[in-house]
Amino acid sequence: MSEDLTRRDLFAKVARGTVLATLAGGAGFLVKKANGQVVWQVNASRCINSRLGEVGVEACNLCTTECVVALSAVRAVNEYSKCGRCNICPAYFNITSAVNAQGQPSEKLCPRDAIARKPIGKVDPEDPANNFYEYIIDEERCDGCGKCVMQCKDPLGLGSITLRVRYDKCVNCNSCSISRACPQHALMQLPVEQALQPVVLKRTG
Amino acid sequence: MTVRFGAIERPLPSVTALIGRRAWAILALLAFTLGAVRSAPAQAIEYQRPVETAPQQDAIGGGYKTPAVQKPLPRDYWLQVLDVVALAAMMGISVWLVLKRRSRRWLVAIAIGCLGYFGFYREGCICPIGSLQNVVVAIVDPRYSIPIVVTATFVLPLVVALFFGRAFCGGVCALGAIQELVVLKPVQVPRRLDRSLGLLKYVYLVTVILFAVKPALGRDFLICRFDPFVGFFRRTGTPHMLLLGGAFLVVGMFVGRPYCRYLCPYGGLLNWCARLARRGVTITPDRELDCGLCAGACPYGAIEQMRAVGRNCLYCARCYSSCPNDRELAHAKAGLVQLSGATPS
Repeated sequence: MSEDLTRRDLFAKVARGTVLATLAGGAGFLVKKANGQVVWQVNASRCINSRLGEVGVEACNLCTTECVVALSAVRAVNEYSKCGRCNICPAYFNITSAVNAQGQPSEKLCPRDAIARKPIGKVDPEDPANNFYEYIIDEERCDGCGKCVMQCKDPLGLGSITLRVRYDKCVNCNSCSISRACPQHALMQLPVEQALQPVVLKRTG
Repeated sequence: MTVRFGAIERPLPSVTALIGRRAWAILALLAFTLGAVRSAPAQAIEYQRPVETAPQQDAIGGGYKTPAVQKPLPRDYWLQVLDVVALAAMMGISVWLVLKRRSRRWLVAIAIGCLGYFGFYREGCICPIGSLQNVVVAIVDPRYSIPIVVTATFVLPLVVALFFGRAFCGGVCALGAIQELVVLKPVQVPRRLDRSLGLLKYVYLVTVILFAVKPALGRDFLICRFDPFVGFFRRTGTPHMLLLGGAFLVVGMFVGRPYCRYLCPYGGLLNWCARLARRGVTITPDRELDCGLCAGACPYGAIEQMRAVGRNCLYCARCYSSCPNDRELAHAKAGLVQLSGATPS
């Protein structure tokens, strides 16, 4: 009886040691291979909303509808150094709406009113083309529907607004559900530093 | 029915007639507005891009500063490390509570705390169950690698299971904790059925691995996609997954922890590690009674012939809280001693 018990114990000991060694080996292999976190990011050159040459198309809002986070982790981001600061911004105004008394389109484009328009310096009413306006996106309010992104690109705008993943919202799913839905395969996994780089739009295909 | 208008009596217009008239008016108005909207583009501005290049701050002048672009960083690395430390600490405390204190009360507190933190606050990510897939992919795919914290998240509960049993399952796992807290009136699943259903988790494990080791494009992470409770943790999800999660919780009121026992692929690994455990939950004749009350109290069918079965034990400590050894028995023993005036053998 006691001998049987010790034999069992010995077996358990050996087996435990083997499993531990395997786990340690596997962990060591993975740790050696580890090279930092990868995160999801939108490839603006692929995203139909921001990619060049895609004009007059309905904006794609899959980022809004597919994200597993309640208010999508993908938001429109204005790269301010590239923004034209136009008087009439095609991403701020709905430029197909009727003109009002001030000579501006009467409707805004953003369905969630997430873009704020603020004059820079003194406004000269005689020379509207030389007045600059700052367009600040309230990213807390934006849900990434992409309407402004579609408008803010060649030939209407300078393409300063793109869709980007916000890493304080993104839960970094193993397989991003937007990436599964995106017909352009625009979402890709990148190392963090690379994902935070400013967008450079390249013509694809 | 009639109503008097001055001196003339006339029938009240019927409700349908009223609605009808109103509807026509609304339709006419709608048609008018629609027409106006459609003609709107004719009055829209002729849009032309006013600038060809972005004016920079020196061109704008007036002390204008280009605002900084918001770039929120991912969760700080030290916070991720802290999560792993919290995971290890919670498992350590669970082991101490169950094996040393033999108490369930504080374990419930751990379950609530971990459900709140790992579940609702961290939104169910990262968890050892899901990390199983990343580990498999990282081993197979030379181009795929995982951060050290993920490896640690995967390995730690297994190591603990090798020494002390499935302490992770008790209250630390958010998926386990949410089911642990809804157990209401558990029925004993017939042993045969329990065993055969338990095989499902190995089938699921193999399926998960097969889907994870596919080449990058066809790869799929089934555990995460079909996690029944993550929708609750994130307060959002597809209706069918929320329904599935709800169903698991409702079933879980009567069948203790259906996901853990029958589906959890990581549970399959923990099961095999716990078989080799050096120590674990034990029901001993000297510290407990051999009365069998615990077998009825165990919602997970982990007590066979009045002995705990480590591989199935989910560290809930219900056996200890159901054991009358300290309270009633000590009391009864004392009473007996007083009655007989003799020392019990």
